[in-house]
Amino acid sequence: MKIYLTDGTVTCFFTAVFDCFREKECVITSNPNIQLTFDSEIIRIESDGEKNLRVQRAINGYDKECADDVVTLLRSCDPLKEQIAFEYIKKLIQVKAPVKNRLNIPEVIEFNDIIYKVIGETHRLKGLLRFMESRSGALYAPYTPDNDITDLLTAHFAERLQSEKFVIHDLKRKIAGMYDGNEWFVGNAGETEVYLSEYERAFENLWKKYYNAVNIKERPHEKQMKGSMPVRYWKFLPEKK
Amino acid sequence: MIDEQRLEILTESAKYDVTCSSSGSKRANIKGGIGNGAACGICHSFTPDGRCISLLKILMSNECIYDCEYCPNRRSADVKRARITPDEICELVINFYKRNYIEGLFLSSAVFESPDKTMEMMYETVLKLRKVYNFNGYIHLKGIPHSDYTAVIKAARLVDRMSYNVELPSEQSLRLLAPQKTKQSLLLPMKGLKDAIIYDKENKVRKNRVLPAGQTTQMIIGASPESDGRILKLTEALYRNMNLKRVYYSSYIPVVQSSKLPAVGAGLLREHRLYQADWLIRFYGFDVSEICGEDENLSKEYDPKCAWALRNMHLFPVEINTAPLETLLRVPGIGAKSAYRITEARRFAKLDFDNLAKMRIVLKRAKHFITCKGKFYGSQNAAQIKTSLLLAGASEVSEQLSMFSETSTALSVLTGEI
Repeated sequence: MKIYLTDGTVTCFFTAVFDCFREKECVITSNPNIQLTFDSEIIRIESDGEKNLRVQRAINGYDKECADDVVTLLRSCDPLKEQIAFEYIKKLIQVKAPVKNRLNIPEVIEFNDIIYKVIGETHRLKGLLRFMESRSGALYAPYTPDNDITDLLTAHFAERLQSEKFVIHDLKRKIAGMYDGNEWFVGNAGETEVYLSEYERAFENLWKKYYNAVNIKERPHEKQMKGSMPVRYWKFLPEKK
Repeated sequence: MIDEQRLEILTESAKYDVTCSSSGSKRANIKGGIGNGAACGICHSFTPDGRCISLLKILMSNECIYDCEYCPNRRSADVKRARITPDEICELVINFYKRNYIEGLFLSSAVFESPDKTMEMMYETVLKLRKVYNFNGYIHLKGIPHSDYTAVIKAARLVDRMSYNVELPSEQSLRLLAPQKTKQSLLLPMKGLKDAIIYDKENKVRKNRVLPAGQTTQMIIGASPESDGRILKLTEALYRNMNLKRVYYSSYIPVVQSSKLPAVGAGLLREHRLYQADWLIRFYGFDVSEICGEDENLSKEYDPKCAWALRNMHLFPVEINTAPLETLLRVPGIGAKSAYRITEARRFAKLDFDNLAKMRIVLKRAKHFITCKGKFYGSQNAAQIKTSLLLAGASEVSEQLSMFSETSTALSVLTGEI
């Protein structure tokens, strides 16, 4: 079986789709540590702009949201994401019409599930991300999301906190979204040290006070709290530290 | 900066207010401003009681000239009093918002000095927040009964949502328990705001539109003797006549000793059933008369849709592949999302039971009421169906009963999306 290995980018994925579309049995993955069987053959894919465009044009011809959906899906941390997207694209081309709502097809359900997780986490973190104010006045938010969504969050906060400067730092992927009051971009970022402003602790304490005061103690319902705010996000929440 | 003691007092006093949603407004940020509205609403944290924190929920003051029987802040109560200035509120909101702790402000107040003075102060606060601090995030303002309408409408052009609490489900109870508030003092401004919203909509007003996220209200359940049927009738009337976005129920909690009030709380289950019925009215095309008779209460054992279906077994089972959307919505266990997914998916292929399961449609209840490609998988006789439905609902009911059993009953864990 042929294993097409991509570098994880969208362009490379679409190039791989182009190259192996006619193959009967093959796997696309960006995971170089994939388990090999005795007859497997690894083919490294080099990004090709032309092939990438042709595939995008073809799938968008059948469903104009498809390329965007695939881009969303490729942000996922799911190890099988490329394969799932590939299967979905094959179905789309076979049917020659949007398949998003055809929930009788198992590949479509799988595809939708992953998109749902990525969009869900983005929405959740729009609420759960926490900024702290540094001595220079810039805001800094470290976090470790499951999926690669830093640019989506940066765009959201650039709109919201127009006249602030801020950094959203994905500690897991070592990248950061930065906004300087005018423009935002995402770049690589290793470890950083942050000096907090003199008011930071005071507002953090007010927030903790508020959090404890607004809770109705006589009615504990921890399960519901943890369901809506999973424990893995707690380490960056001042009220939960 | 506000000190921790006052923040604590004013938050403790505001925490029993149920509304918390921040949805329905997509207010844009302005140049140099801070904040915008997210139409879907965003929750920023969750407290150990399971409720979400979306807005900074706070009272301007808890010094009240009114003496409502059920209220922990009433004039005759012996509690610590505090007040906060407009500037202190603005500073707190901006700093919390900047750190992404909150989505906006929920500002309420006890009536201090006079209703006019209170409303004026609240207006001054939101004006400052919008114009001086350039804040464009979500603001929910509580309306003060008996206050001058000019201040109310001025404030309504600045905030996203306002709410006048009808407090109790009947005029009679209101007179008994909150003698200083009258039905008119609550419904007149509500009506005025509704007309202003309609005016803005019809004339396509774009700037400073009145209440883009509409109005809501809240009432206490179980402090007075009204039946569920009455409460739902009132709810339906409020939705129809006042165009409210939401009616919130808060089940009565005996925090105050009074001969006019019951000694025990109403229980979470009753509140839960009322919310379920409320959903059926708003999203599932049910009439109140179908769900619950005028002087009846909702069933404790079954959710309102199940109860309705059991009374109308002659309408079932329905065929999943052909039943219209309105009918699918009436099948117990099939919600609005599932119904939509079924109608979409069946355009392309006939669905069988397996398909439904893979689409994650919960069949625990639904299987007794549907056929797939003509096949029926539920129980044949009515008694079996009832037992099976009871079992399906049992986990939900027992959990809620045990959680809130004796000491105190509940306010909602079902805070809201719209």
